Amino acid sequence: MEIILSGQLVLATLVLGSVYALVAMGLNLIYGTMRLLNVAHGEILMIGAYVAYWAFTLLQIGPLISLFGAMALTGGLGWAVYRFLVRGLLAGSGEIVQRIEANSLLIFFGLSIILQNLISLAFTANERAYPYLDQVIRFGGISIGADRLVILGISLTVSLIAILFFRYSMTGLAMRALIEQREAAALVGIERDRVSLLVFILGFALAGLAGALISMTEQISPFSGFPFTIAAFVVIILGGLGNLYGGLLGAFLLAGIEVYGVALTSSAYRSILVYGVFIAVLLWRPQGLLGGKRIS
Amino acid sequence: MSLLQVEQVTKQFGGLTAVEEVSFAVEEGEILGLMGANGAGKTTLFAMIAGNLAPSSGRILLAGQRIDGRSAAAVNRLGIARAFQIVRPFSGMSVKENVAAACLYGRRRLKRQAEAERVALEILGRLGLGEVAGRGAATLTLAQRKRLEIARALGTAPRLLLLDEVLAGLTAREVEAALDLLVALKREEGLTLIVIEHVMQALMRLSDRILVLHHGAMLAVGRPKEIADNREVAEVYFGKGQSDA
Amino acid sequence: MKPAAALIAALGLGLAYPFLVGDYLLGVGLSFLMWVSLAQSWVLLSGLTGYISLGHAVFYGLGAYVMALLWTQVSLWVAIPLAGLAAGLLALVLGYPCLRVRGPYFVILTFGIAEFVKYIVVAIEAGLGKSGRLLFGGPSLETLFTIMLVLALTATAATYLTRRSRFGVALRAIREEETASETIGISVGQVKALAFVASALIPGMVGAVMVLRSTYFEPLQVFNPFLSFTIVTMAIIGGSDDAPGPLLGALFLVGLTELLWASAPQVYMILLGLLLIGFVLFLPEGLAGRLLRFSRGPAP
Repeated sequence: MEIILSGQLVLATLVLGSVYALVAMGLNLIYGTMRLLNVAHGEILMIGAYVAYWAFTLLQIGPLISLFGAMALTGGLGWAVYRFLVRGLLAGSGEIVQRIEANSLLIFFGLSIILQNLISLAFTANERAYPYLDQVIRFGGISIGADRLVILGISLTVSLIAILFFRYSMTGLAMRALIEQREAAALVGIERDRVSLLVFILGFALAGLAGALISMTEQISPFSGFPFTIAAFVVIILGGLGNLYGGLLGAFLLAGIEVYGVALTSSAYRSILVYGVFIAVLLWRPQGLLGGKRIS
Repeated sequence: MSLLQVEQVTKQFGGLTAVEEVSFAVEEGEILGLMGANGAGKTTLFAMIAGNLAPSSGRILLAGQRIDGRSAAAVNRLGIARAFQIVRPFSGMSVKENVAAACLYGRRRLKRQAEAERVALEILGRLGLGEVAGRGAATLTLAQRKRLEIARALGTAPRLLLLDEVLAGLTAREVEAALDLLVALKREEGLTLIVIEHVMQALMRLSDRILVLHHGAMLAVGRPKEIADNREVAEVYFGKGQSDA
Repeated sequence: MKPAAALIAALGLGLAYPFLVGDYLLGVGLSFLMWVSLAQSWVLLSGLTGYISLGHAVFYGLGAYVMALLWTQVSLWVAIPLAGLAAGLLALVLGYPCLRVRGPYFVILTFGIAEFVKYIVVAIEAGLGKSGRLLFGGPSLETLFTIMLVLALTATAATYLTRRSRFGVALRAIREEETASETIGISVGQVKALAFVASALIPGMVGAVMVLRSTYFEPLQVFNPFLSFTIVTMAIIGGSDDAPGPLLGALFLVGLTELLWASAPQVYMILLGLLLIGFVLFLPEGLAGRLLRFSRGPAP
């Protein structure tokens, strides 16, 4: 009981959950509108992290500024991936949708391998980290790094802005229409191509932003993005594929499972825990805990 | 004993009742027409008879043997075949391979592929698809694909064949040809059929009896003439149907 | 009888190979046969049914683990089949639940399961206080090569024969249209599970042989997801619909490995990724499919 009420763990859950929410939102957007599972999402995040790392190490620019650069670069990548890979994929024979979806996964997997090794080629495979806002803040018996508080603040703010954007802006509404009715949306004059492109840019930029934030507290390496892909995937399955609000809930749920699971056992079991949840949700409730969009 | 008995069958999806307390029987060698507006529960009923869906309650018997709750594969092996409303060919295979696959499984369960291909060619010839047997299934016209759907169902050597709108989208001449074919199948092979069809004249001409579904429940059952004269049916179905057409 | 003749010729050539070449080329030959065995097994499931497994490393790794546990306890000739059996059992347990999940979800599920098992084995080994197991006194390279030759030929024959069998028709029907397959009397659940088990047996045995080759067992190495990724890439490059595909794919990739892996591993991986994307987008039938089309002339 003590452990459940520990303020330290609650706060850790909130921080991790807010990061997961941000990471998952980008993945969910692309899945929801185009039914494409971008397994290279974690690598995009890593690119954002590297931008922040180099900006700090070479130019002494803090991540709170360089995150804009990270978003610009990853957003540009989103444009390129849509323009050169996805369009070609969608233009191909659309006869058996499911087979194309399985193939699209292979394409993103190839992209993930390419990006991992490009980064490794450019910057070596060494783990890197930099000190930023690492003073510890204490209040009421809880101690937390200032960097984590900043991450919590920014992640929550951006997630809320994104949700408001989907609820109230014209473009956001068009994206939601695509998520809810892919066929009908084309009929009511939403330009699928333009909206899809935007979705890719936005989804990638969100990953880049998350990466820049994560670089403040985590060691980064060319291969440390993939676990975030898996976590984001668990989050969006928990919340319902294509369901952005459910994703928020799923993020905090997974973060809670992870934080408390590790606290109750040992950090050696973290991967088993995350993959266990991942398998369980895929097998038992592929439509997500909140229902939401169908999976097939 | 009737070939097929449907007893008090109900299907609910969440709070929605798609099919409610439907009971009827089909005799061997009979053609039963199934009529009803979109959403009346016809395709759901087919799915339950063919084993694609399990009923929420009620019983379905084939020649006295319970089949509800069994898998579609098991039901097919007992002798019920289904042609889908939206055709589902094995696109990457040739027309002949499509039907031969059914001959290898289904009720026939042939062991040798050469034998299956021979039977498949016979069936294809009968359905006027002999000339395209070697072509890829994806290259066929819609009318041909509809016939392939029937050919593949026949490949399983069914006792009861469920046809879901196999005439939809065909030209008047193609409809004529298809009707002749179905009647011939019934007469020569002793096949029993349940047919869902929106082309009203066709259904009237083809069926020995017609069953009308309305909002998932049975509205009427009888000879085509009786159904055409039924006031209730005319009100809820024809009135609406004519204005739609 | 042409395929049988080819099989005998390949067997003869394979048996003579260790006497014709030095250790380096023998090692290359072993790795070629390993990839052939793995890719053929993968095609048996994923190529024919369309259920793309990105987790075949789990069978390889489990086989290696079984060998590491049984090493010096039982004879090689008992341990290798047991490794295959263990992989088959795992596939039997996983098959029914996993194969209800379709399309991209199946792909990512198989990946997740392989990682899950990997971390469990890591935890078990850590709990036992082992950071790896040395396997001393294994058989000679020639012996390992000959065992792998038998596995590769078996896997190739299995894919070739299955592709042409009654069972193979069911697998391809499932790939094309699963619901229609069920309505023509194919018990799709059983058929898929059987294919899954069949495609796990040989990878389990391959893992057992290869861990003897490296003389060292380390979970992160034998359950490496890169192995799964390479199998898929190889089969897609070669062609995943029939037995010639994996042969071509393995030949191509082993050549590429020899050229690049030692000198520029990252470039090798990048190339692999590019090839996978390129083939999926532009040549989904693979090299074998393309060659076949040339030899047959234009499609009717």
